[in-house]
Amino acid sequence: MIELNKIERSYRTGHTETWVLRHVNLTIKPGEFVTIMGPSGAGKSSLLNVLAMLDDQWKGEFFFDGEPVHRMNRKQRAELARRRTGMVFQSYHLLDDLSVAENIDLPLSYKDIPRAERQALVADTLDKFQIVGKKDLFPSQLSGGQQQLVGIARAVIHKPSLLLADEPTGNLHSGQAREIMELFKKLNEEGTTIIQVTHSEENAKFGSRIIELRDGWLYSDTAGIAQPVGVQS
Amino acid sequence: MNKLWQDVRYGLRQLRKSPGFTLTAVITLALGIGANAAIFTLVQGILLRSLPFSDPNQLYRIGDKDDCCVEGGFVGDNGDFDIYSYDLYLQFKQSAPEFEQLAAMRAGFGGFSVRRGNEIAKELTGEYVSGNYFSTLGIGSYLGRVFSDSDDTPSAAPVVVLSYEGWQNEFASDTSIVGSTISVETHPFTVIGIAPRGFFGDRITGNPPMFWIPLNTEPTISGNGSILHHPDSNFLYAVGRVKPGTPIPALQAKLSATMREWMKTRPVYTENGASAEIPKQHVTVVPAGGGIQNLQQEAGDGLTMLMILSSVVLLIACANIANLLLARATARKAEVSLRMALGSGRSRLVRQIFTESVLLSLIGGLVGLAVAYAGSRVILILAFPGAKHLPVSATPSWQVLGFAFGISLLTGALFGTTPAWISTHAQPAEVLRGSSRSTSDRSSLPQKALVVFQAALSLVLLVGAALMTKSLNKLEHQNFGLHTENRYVAHFDPHGAGYSLDRLPALYHEIQNRFESLPGVTGVGLAMYSPLEGDNWGECIIQQGHPAPRPGEHCGSTWDRVSAGYLDVIGVPKVRGREFTDQDTATSLPVAIVNETFVKRFFPNQDPIGRHFGIDDVKYSGSWEIIGVFKDFKINNPKEEPRPVYLRPMTQYYKPYTESGFISTEDQSMYANSIMLRFNRPQQDADALIRRTLASIDPNLTINDLRSLDAQVADNFDQDRLLARLTTLFGVLALILASVGLYGVTSYLVVRRTSEIGIRMALGSTRGRVVQLVLRSVAWQIGLGLALGIPSTLLAGHYMKSQLYGVSEYDATAMIAGVVVLCCCALIAGFIPARRAASIEPMQALRTE
Repeated sequence: MIELNKIERSYRTGHTETWVLRHVNLTIKPGEFVTIMGPSGAGKSSLLNVLAMLDDQWKGEFFFDGEPVHRMNRKQRAELARRRTGMVFQSYHLLDDLSVAENIDLPLSYKDIPRAERQALVADTLDKFQIVGKKDLFPSQLSGGQQQLVGIARAVIHKPSLLLADEPTGNLHSGQAREIMELFKKLNEEGTTIIQVTHSEENAKFGSRIIELRDGWLYSDTAGIAQPVGVQS
Repeated sequence: MNKLWQDVRYGLRQLRKSPGFTLTAVITLALGIGANAAIFTLVQGILLRSLPFSDPNQLYRIGDKDDCCVEGGFVGDNGDFDIYSYDLYLQFKQSAPEFEQLAAMRAGFGGFSVRRGNEIAKELTGEYVSGNYFSTLGIGSYLGRVFSDSDDTPSAAPVVVLSYEGWQNEFASDTSIVGSTISVETHPFTVIGIAPRGFFGDRITGNPPMFWIPLNTEPTISGNGSILHHPDSNFLYAVGRVKPGTPIPALQAKLSATMREWMKTRPVYTENGASAEIPKQHVTVVPAGGGIQNLQQEAGDGLTMLMILSSVVLLIACANIANLLLARATARKAEVSLRMALGSGRSRLVRQIFTESVLLSLIGGLVGLAVAYAGSRVILILAFPGAKHLPVSATPSWQVLGFAFGISLLTGALFGTTPAWISTHAQPAEVLRGSSRSTSDRSSLPQKALVVFQAALSLVLLVGAALMTKSLNKLEHQNFGLHTENRYVAHFDPHGAGYSLDRLPALYHEIQNRFESLPGVTGVGLAMYSPLEGDNWGECIIQQGHPAPRPGEHCGSTWDRVSAGYLDVIGVPKVRGREFTDQDTATSLPVAIVNETFVKRFFPNQDPIGRHFGIDDVKYSGSWEIIGVFKDFKINNPKEEPRPVYLRPMTQYYKPYTESGFISTEDQSMYANSIMLRFNRPQQDADALIRRTLASIDPNLTINDLRSLDAQVADNFDQDRLLARLTTLFGVLALILASVGLYGVTSYLVVRRTSEIGIRMALGSTRGRVVQLVLRSVAWQIGLGLALGIPSTLLAGHYMKSQLYGVSEYDATAMIAGVVVLCCCALIAGFIPARRAASIEPMQALRTE
């Protein structure tokens, strides 16, 4: 589903160039539940942003279901991301002015889907996530776990084939975290490919594969590393 | 004190740290305060100022209007007299001992031909005044002496007092002028003194008198045309110094009674049932510390309107400042919270932020004063383009300085306190944790409300500007009924050059011949006065066979005396009959030609050709035969509908008059003041050519004024042009300020909504949708602004009605233009930050969270 070849990403601060991803080669098959781990500053979130197509300042090759993302312009990447991916954030990123239902509807509102169809999809999703009773509440009226539940519902409402999650339980206590991970597992079992970034060993256990990054390099991969580590020029 | 100094230093450092913010705020304040201070300088210099008289509070004028220059019979419809004959002035003086002194001065200034020795004669403005003029106003002399009562008697030697400006500019500050003799209209006058510096006479005008001469010299100068001893020629204003403690209402009643008693002795106020009008005749006694208020009455409405409009600009500027400070306060919440967390007291922080705001306002006020100084100079030049020695200073006075700094401090205090309060009332822990960051923009409601307010006010100013501009356009491009292109008007003064009546026909003949022979000249005309130069002679018409007009009946008609072919020269077509020809001579049938309005008014549904009419008295009703009718043209006031006009030939003196007043008027009317020339193409050197030609006829004939007829017509619209330009300037200022405000608020919102925009883009929003999102907010603000602004604009239009010509106060085009301009600017102001929002990298945006 995803194939990354020699992905590199750096930031320029003044005269210094800081590398956050170095020669990352990675293949992810459909239906996998991949956990990206590593210490702070290892490049986990940067890799996730590349995969979510939120970043386009990287170098290398990126194939998504065979489509060469690296050859696409910004608009084509955004369109691909809109159709195929969903994103869950550590701090939920719900819009405070919108109700639960409206937040969930947000990704659909950016597609040309008739209003009635959208309403039906939102109703289904609310039902599936068992938050029908909260549909008219605003984010500030929900607990952290409930907010993240809405965040996940919003991420999957358009049935993405790839769900990306950046520290999805980072702001939650362990009970809520477990529930969220159970939900991810269920979504994965239903066919959604999931890539999560986490520091938690517990959460990682819910996945089928763990990739570890260190200083931007792919340090380890439970599925085996496609290319030898430490190829430096 | 030490703390205050510390606050000031820190405040200045903060302002230096954000040059963009500081510059925007200072420019905004400077424009708002500068515009107001400039207009206030004018208001103070023209409307509120006392003239430099001693004890101005004791001075009162008998009369409150600006009638000018020579009137006969009742004045106006309501009996409110303000202009008097010399005889009536003497009656007032005699019957009202409540006045310590009562002075008289001629209502209209005149141009006099003045010559010193063998120098070339100059045309200078002079004023006839009574002998007690200077002592009444409490004005002494700079050099020599001023008039005494003994200088103003029929037998006194003719004397003249020069104004300080006149002495400086026209006589090179030569002190030996005092005691020497100068020639005024060819008569010798002894200069007895120079008036003090800063004294420009009894009123504010763009062309104040350069000298004063006693009233009793008027018969010497005017000769047969003198009006001093015509009891029915009203041409004087009266200003007196009232004894302390005199009740003004009682004095007013007494003077009114005196006037009514005097009127009963004059046939012009009693004949033909006129005496029935006498009971309602009265005078109004008004304070005269500010002099004769003619300019004030003329310019008052316009200045008041400008004052209101500039206040609106200031309001918009204040809204901008409020917005900027609110945005800054929000942006500085974290800094303030950190300071509080580190132990700073709330009052200390409020004082600090407050000091910064006041500093900012004071800098703005200072720059505003510079804008005011430059602005008022420009406005004065625009308002009085032909003014030679304008007695209005553009330098802001102490009051204006106080006004500017008062406004600055008020703005700083008002708009500095709220943000300071907001900043210090955030919960430090919350702010530092960042939990106050939100994707909600409810906190920006006050700022949005201010933008709505600005948009509404801007619309008022924009539509006002559109209305004034359209009105000016209509005025300037109306059908005047005459052709102005390639025409030139030379104003000259044969009387001042010493020409007597019997020498005039030869002079006119010579002028006609010499100018006609010039290359390129296709027509020459002479007239007592030319169209739209500001002069107007009026008489009461009596048709032959009709009784004398009843009191209050509209019998007035404008008239002029012109040479043969004059109408052709100014391009006014004949409708019926014929124009004057060389066959209309002093000995031929006395004739007149009239305009269509004259026919409609005095000979409705009749053939006017061959009919006779006269003026003032039934016995003269057959004076002139109508030989032609011409199309209406604007002769005096371009804003009014054409009045009845009759023209008489330059060659025909009407001899049957027996009354000295009529004879005097007839004599005066024989003196042409305008030579009208038509060229076959635009001229480059018309000025030199015309001056040379007239000098070659008689070197004593000087040209007082020479300009194209286009320029003469355009001069009528100086005030309208000034109002239109300033209103447009204020409209543009308002638009810029409102656009800056909208841009600022939108930019600020975009920054605040960065994370929301990032989330939306991460969830699939396209950049186009982000632009839409931002512009939707702009559209709401402008929409609400329009909803408030349109009714306000309609209301403002209603109050501007008196300043408009040919444009409805509810003009749809002006309204649409205002709305479109505002919307376009709002779109641009909103689009720039919207585009910036659309270029936000979602990844970056999410990281800012």
